[in-house]
Amino acid sequence: MATKRTGAGKSGGRDSSILAKIANHEIANKGRRAACDAVYVSKKLLRSTGKAAWIVGTSFLILVVPLLIQAERDQMLGEIELQQASILGPPPPGALQ
Amino acid sequence: MADLFPPLVTAQIDDKPKVDEKVDYSNLPCPVPYEELHREAYMSLKPDTFEGLRFDFTKGLNQKFGLCHSVMMGPTEVPSQSPDTVIKIPTAHYEFGANYIDPKLMLVGRVMTDGRQSARVRADLTDKLMVKANAQLANEPHMSQAMFNFDYMGSDYRAQLQFGNNALVGANYIQSVTPRLSLGGEVFWVGVPRKSGIGYAARYETDKMVASGQVASTGLMAMNYVQKVSDKVSLATDFMYNYFSREAVASVGYDYMLRQSRVRGKIDSNGVASALLEERLSMGLNFLMSAELDHKKKDYKFGFGLTVG
Repeated sequence: MATKRTGAGKSGGRDSSILAKIANHEIANKGRRAACDAVYVSKKLLRSTGKAAWIVGTSFLILVVPLLIQAERDQMLGEIELQQASILGPPPPGALQ
Repeated sequence: MADLFPPLVTAQIDDKPKVDEKVDYSNLPCPVPYEELHREAYMSLKPDTFEGLRFDFTKGLNQKFGLCHSVMMGPTEVPSQSPDTVIKIPTAHYEFGANYIDPKLMLVGRVMTDGRQSARVRADLTDKLMVKANAQLANEPHMSQAMFNFDYMGSDYRAQLQFGNNALVGANYIQSVTPRLSLGGEVFWVGVPRKSGIGYAARYETDKMVASGQVASTGLMAMNYVQKVSDKVSLATDFMYNYFSREAVASVGYDYMLRQSRVRGKIDSNGVASALLEERLSMGLNFLMSAELDHKKKDYKFGFGLTVG
């Protein structure tokens, strides 16, 4: 097989033909195809993971975050009321209600 | 009639020894009205999310009479040819309304700047008979509608007769079968696209949960279940199936009723997540925020509003 690869060999002539032989071998072709497939699949996986992460992330932001904020505010309100009740104590019998 | 009841009651006790009180079949509670069968589920699962700005101001002039003003600005959807694209047109309108609310008589009227008017009347004629009327007038011809309902409330049943324009006639009936289970049915006949339909409904409630289901000959089958997890939290789920077009939608939602706010959220099998937050800023002042994400159609709607009074 005449080699057409111009940049393959460092020293010209016989070395480049051996390198070219290796590079054009059947197994090397298979390896190249497998690498292309792997890159394609991993790109798709990354894209679908990204899409899923976006959907889950925005839905979490809408459904869960306001709930957590409001629940925490309600809990703090309860604590403040408890503190005030314990500091002020029960109102005296003649107090203005 | 009274001779039939004692054997039923003893049979119940023999079958279920856990029942600790006799079920008094002659004294059942009155069931909920037929159109409010799914009331708890729809309160949690169908919050009215909106897009844009909403401002409502209600002023009570009297103990019974009040006026309300409301401004709504935002895009409204226009139905488009292909189901993928949504066409939105920005609109803004102002609505003026008057309410008169009495224990026996309720009158509500609304007028909008785009020419639409609506009126609702609810009157208790006697202790058991109630009349409701609902009318909507629009600028375009043939878009106005009116509906009259006559409701009769018996001791453990309710019956309703409906008359509407476009020659709509309907009747429905619901009966309490046990203190927790009520069954009902409805028939209707529409004149303009000549068709008639029949439907059945059932509702089972305890003080912790409510389950209800409805089947109609228009192809609709709906079932929903609401569980009251505590006095602040309730979770609901809903399943709707159209057996002519073979489409099913299921949704799950929650409803948190806290002291200063109320948060409702829901996620759908159509890929729609929506939430509504109502927060009480001070006495009579409520701040609303609504969000709806439709992941399938990539349509995102957000709104905020203020309710005074």
